[in-house]
Amino acid sequence: MNLAKTPRFKAGLLSSLVPFGFNVERWGYVIHRVTGVILIGYLAAHLFETFQLSMGQTAWLGTMAALHSLGPLEMVGLWLVAGSALYHGANGIRLILNEMFGMLMGKPIMPVYPYSPTSLGRNQKIAVWMITAVVLALWLWAGLYLLAGLGVV
Amino acid sequence: MDKMTLEVLRTGGRKARYELKYRKGMTVLDALVEVREKQDPSLAYRHSCRMGICGSCGMNIQGTPRLACQTQVSSLGKETIKVEPLHGMHVIRDLVVDIDPFLAMHTVVRPYLVRRDLNERDRSDREYRVLSEEVARFLQFDYCIMCGLCYSACPTVALDPDYLGPQAIAQAYRYMADPRDEGWKERVDLLDSAHGVWRCHVAGSCSFVCPKDVDPAKAIQMARVEVLKRRVLRKMARAGSPLVSVAPSGVPKQGTKAPPFDFPREEAK
Repeated sequence: MNLAKTPRFKAGLLSSLVPFGFNVERWGYVIHRVTGVILIGYLAAHLFETFQLSMGQTAWLGTMAALHSLGPLEMVGLWLVAGSALYHGANGIRLILNEMFGMLMGKPIMPVYPYSPTSLGRNQKIAVWMITAVVLALWLWAGLYLLAGLGVV
Repeated sequence: MDKMTLEVLRTGGRKARYELKYRKGMTVLDALVEVREKQDPSLAYRHSCRMGICGSCGMNIQGTPRLACQTQVSSLGKETIKVEPLHGMHVIRDLVVDIDPFLAMHTVVRPYLVRRDLNERDRSDREYRVLSEEVARFLQFDYCIMCGLCYSACPTVALDPDYLGPQAIAQAYRYMADPRDEGWKERVDLLDSAHGVWRCHVAGSCSFVCPKDVDPAKAIQMARVEVLKRRVLRKMARAGSPLVSVAPSGVPKQGTKAPPFDFPREEAK
């Protein structure tokens, strides 16, 4: 049997996006990808929206009316975009430090049992949890800001 | 815990359940051996040394790639243990996967010392000394047992079957960091490719599952820094910068600082 022609077991996009059973950095990897897709979707919608300006006042007002007809969903969408931008940006800085400068990864060590890799060590964990805390705080603030815009708070 | 259940995903997607009596100190491999000896001789899995050295018994246990011989049933904290073949690989039968693609990646990075002088390589009459601080730069990555857990855990491998994978890149870096090696340029060329170091996104799962703390995620980032360094130096050299005196084709590697030690062989009689 030619195995190369059979599908690989649990490979593909969905499999790569399952963080269960793995480390906290893998969760960061998954969230980074999901937020990236949200931002691309937002960018496309934003370009479409601003493009309507060139189509004349009627088209622009029509687009605005369609957006506002979504009601609270519009604000939920903006809130998701705000959270995505915050997480993607903050985690992106950590990844740049990791990937471009090898920072937070530690130096080669003599492996001694019980093993604990330095690349997932204290420095990396502090960075991950600090990013999570700061992003959650700012995201909450963004939510309150949007609710204030709606006149709810 | 007196009893335990082993739920094995077998060929064809069938989940087979085996009830076993739990013994203190029992590993998942012990449980699999008992199942095959007493309940189902058709169950297929790989194992050899039973002590975490051969790397044969890699499988997905409770959703995480692990060595079955190194996984205590008690450490999983559940009575039902779910066992699957390693993800991202072709299944031959039950828990046996095809590791040929993984080994092919290992081979392609030339995991051995490369010397330019063929005469010296074929008729070497001296040993090459390395200082202990130089050994420390690569020894950790030398402890790889090629079990394939990192390859299976990597989300990039799940998406891109042509990606070199964490194990191969870690091995490439292991030899790049070795002062005796002269194959730096070829390896950097390979790593600086569409399926090389740039595909890694630091999910860190490879290091998380590595049973020997080879820490491939660290090796990949260190290799990436080397690749970047080469790119920057090349640009500087091409721009005629007086700061670098390297040929655009590559960065010359520093030789070992260890004192030369000639150890002439006895003349053949």
